[in-house]
Amino acid sequence: MSFDVNIILRYYPELLGGAWVAVWITAVSLVCSSAVGAVVCIGRLQKHGAASRLATAYIDLFRATPEIVLIIWVFYCLPLLFDVRIGRYGCAIIALSAYGGAYMAEIFRAGVQAVPRGQIEAANALGIPIFHIVRRVIVPPAIGWMMPALVNFLTELLKATSLLALIGVAELIFVASTLGSKTFAYMEFYTAIAVIYFMIIFPLSVYARRAEQRRLRRTGN
Amino acid sequence: MTETAQDSANGANGAKEGDPIVLCRDVVKRFGDFTALDAVSTEVRVGEVVCIVGPSGGGKSTFLRMINGLEGIDGGEIVVDGIHLPGGKKDIQNVRREVGMVFQSFNLFMHMSVRQNLILAPMTARGLGRKEADDRAERLLERVGIGDQIDKYPSQLSGGQQQRVAIARALAMEPRVMLFDEPTSALDPEMIKEVLDVMRELAESGMTMLVVTHEMGFAREVAGRVLFMADGQILVDAPPERFFSEAEDERQANFLSKIL
Amino acid sequence: MIRAGTRAGTLGGLANRWGFHAVLLALGALMLANLNWTLVRSFEFAFIWEYRIALINGFGITLLLTVEAGIVGILFGTLFAIGSQSPFAPLRWLVAAYVEVFRNTPLLVQLLWIHFALPLVTGINTTALVSGIIGIGLQAAAYYTEIMRAGIQAVPRGQIEAAQALGLPARTRWTRVVLPPAIRTVIPALLNQNISFFKATAIVGLGLLVDDFFNSALRVSNDTFHFIEPLTFAAAVYLVLGWQAGRWTLRLERRLTRGER
Ligand SMILES: Nc1ncnc2c1ncn2[C@@H]1O[C@H](COP(=O)(O)OP(=O)(O)OP(=O)(O)O)[C@@H](O)[C@H]1O
Ligand SMILES: [Mg+2]
Repeated sequence: MSFDVNIILRYYPELLGGAWVAVWITAVSLVCSSAVGAVVCIGRLQKHGAASRLATAYIDLFRATPEIVLIIWVFYCLPLLFDVRIGRYGCAIIALSAYGGAYMAEIFRAGVQAVPRGQIEAANALGIPIFHIVRRVIVPPAIGWMMPALVNFLTELLKATSLLALIGVAELIFVASTLGSKTFAYMEFYTAIAVIYFMIIFPLSVYARRAEQRRLRRTGN
Repeated sequence: MTETAQDSANGANGAKEGDPIVLCRDVVKRFGDFTALDAVSTEVRVGEVVCIVGPSGGGKSTFLRMINGLEGIDGGEIVVDGIHLPGGKKDIQNVRREVGMVFQSFNLFMHMSVRQNLILAPMTARGLGRKEADDRAERLLERVGIGDQIDKYPSQLSGGQQQRVAIARALAMEPRVMLFDEPTSALDPEMIKEVLDVMRELAESGMTMLVVTHEMGFAREVAGRVLFMADGQILVDAPPERFFSEAEDERQANFLSKIL
Repeated sequence: MIRAGTRAGTLGGLANRWGFHAVLLALGALMLANLNWTLVRSFEFAFIWEYRIALINGFGITLLLTVEAGIVGILFGTLFAIGSQSPFAPLRWLVAAYVEVFRNTPLLVQLLWIHFALPLVTGINTTALVSGIIGIGLQAAAYYTEIMRAGIQAVPRGQIEAAQALGLPARTRWTRVVLPPAIRTVIPALLNQNISFFKATAIVGLGLLVDDFFNSALRVSNDTFHFIEPLTFAAAVYLVLGWQAGRWTLRLERRLTRGER
C-alpha cells in the first residue's frame, strides 16, 4: 500500500474546517466551564450548608461519569426531558461545560487554597475591602499556581471534543470518517487528523509540564 | 508619627493623649469547648506602650487578633476609640483603619513589589490617590530605613527588611494603635535589632502600641506596662521595673525564671 | 483556610450564604418547572430487566477491557519506564516519542486508526473488539509509563548508588531495590489511572461498535425507543462504580501515606 499525501492536500479545507470546529467548541466550553466552575468552587469553599454539599455532589457526579456517557446522555435525554430542541452543538457545549465545570471548580479551589492564609489575614487586618482582597491578593498568585492544571485541563477538553463525532458534530474525526468513506483513504485521513491533534495538544502539554516544574522549583517542594 | 497622631486626633472619635483608646471588658473567646480568653479586662491609653508576655498557648495572639476584628468575640466587648465590638461589618472595617497589625511571619504580599504592598490598602480602603499613596509609601520606607528597596519584591529582602516593610505597610493606613504579634520571633538574631529599633522609634513618636514579645530587654526599656497572660487571663499588670523585680504570681515567677 | 469567624471579608461573606442559596433554589425550581412531566410520569425501568443478558455480557466486555488496561499497562509501562532510564539515548527517545504520541492524541483517533488504517499496513484485519483491546493496551502502556517513571525517579538516588556500590547485577538492582518502593509510591496513581480507563472503555464501545456495557444500553434504547431509562441506568452504573472505586483509592492512599510516616 502507499501513502497518498496528495489526497490530504486536496481535502485540506475540510480538515481545517474540522479543526476549527474542535477549537471553537473547546473555547466556548472552556469559558462556560470556568463560569460553572467558579460558582461550584464558591459553594465548595463554604464550611457547611446546602451549597457546600450540593457543590461536592456536583463535582463527584461529573468526575465519576465518563465524558462519553455524559455526551450521549445529554444528546438523547436532555431534549426529551425538557421538551426542547437543543441541537448537536448545543448538546456538545452543555455536556463539555457540565463536565468541565467540575474540573475547573477543583482547579480554582486548589488555586485559592494555595494562597497562604497569612496573606489574606494581613489584607483583612489592613481593612482592605473584600472585592480588592479577592482581586489583588488572592487571584494573582492563585492564577500562577493554577496555570499548569488549567492548561492540562485544556488538553483534556481538546481530546474530549473528538468524542463529539459520535453525536454528529463535524469535528476532525467526523470529517476524516466522512472523507474516508468517500475516498477509502482511511489511512491518510486518520493519520492526518492524528497529526493535527498532536500539533495542537503537544505544545500545550509541554508548556504545562514546564510551568509545573517552574512552580515546584519556586515553592521549593 | 506626630503628624499621624494629629491627623486622627481630629477624626471622628479622637481620643486625646492620656484618654483610653482600647478598652476591653470581660472579653471571652471560645474555640469549640475550649476557652481561649476568659473574661479579659484591661485598658490602653493613647501613647502607651504595653508589652504582653506569657507562656505559649496563653491567648496572647488571640487577644491581639480580637482587637483587630480578626477573631469574633464570644462575650464582653472591646471598644477601640469609641467603636464597639462585636459590631457589624462597618464597625470591624472602622476598627481596622484605626488599628494596624504586624505578624510574626510578616505576611507581605509576595507577588507585589514593596511599593505595591504599601499603596494597596491606602488606595482601596482609604481612597487615597496614586500620587499621595506613593509619597506616603516613600516617606514611610525612609522612616524604617529601607527607602532604597521600594521597587524590590519581598523575596529579594532579608527577614528584617521584610518585617520593616510590614511595619511600614501597617503605618501607611495611619493607624492610631499598632499591634505587634511576636514581630522578631521569626528573625535571625542579627536582624532583631533593626526591627526593634524601628519599634522603639515608633514608641518614642507617641504611637500607642500593644506588643507580644519574648524580647525582655525591649519590654523593660520601652514598655510603660507589662501584662502577663496565661490560661486566657491577664494574671499580672505592672510597670516593667516592678514586673521584672518582684513576681506577684507563682506562674509569673516560674515564667521569669525560665526566660531571664 | 479562610476562617468563617471573620465576618467582614471572607469568600464566604462574598458568596453571601442566603443569596447563594436563593440562586440555587431558583435554578432548581426553574429546572423542575420546565421538566416534561408527562414523560417523567411515563418512566418505566422494568423493561430493562428483559435485556439483562445483553447488558451483563456487555458489562463483561467492559470489565475485560478495564482489567486488560491495568495488566498490559502495568507490565509494559514498567518495562518502558525502565527503558526510559537507559543509558542508551535512542532507547530513551523511542520511549519518550511513544509516550508523547499516545498521550497527546485522543483515544478515539487511536482506535479508529488501529481499526481502519492499520490493517492497510499489516494486511491483517482485526475485529472491533481486538482493535479495542490493542488500542486500550497501547494507550494504557503510555500512561502507565509516565506514572512508573515518576515512581522510579522518586526513589532516592542514594539507594541506587548503594546497590551499585554493592555490585548488584542490574536485574537484581531493578527488581529488588528500585521497583518495590517505586511501585508502592505510585499505587494510588495506578489505581486512579485504571479508573480513568474504566471510563474510557465506553469510547471503545461506541467508537468501534463493540458491545460493551454502554453500547449494549444504547442498543436497548434504539430497540425500544425508550432513550431515557436505559441510558440513565447505564450512566448511574458508571457513576456509582467510578465514584466508589475513587473512594476506595482515596482511602488506600491515605492509609499508605500514613504508613510511611
Ligand atoms: N483557630 C483556632 N482554633 C482552635 N483553637 C485555637 C485557634 N487559635 C488559637 N487556638 C487555641 O487558643 C489558645 C491560645 O492561642 P494563642 O495563639 O492565642 O496563644 P499564644 O499565647 O499566642 O501562644 P504562642 O506564644 O505560642 O504564640 C491555644 O491553646 C490555641 O491552641
Ligand atoms: Mg502567638
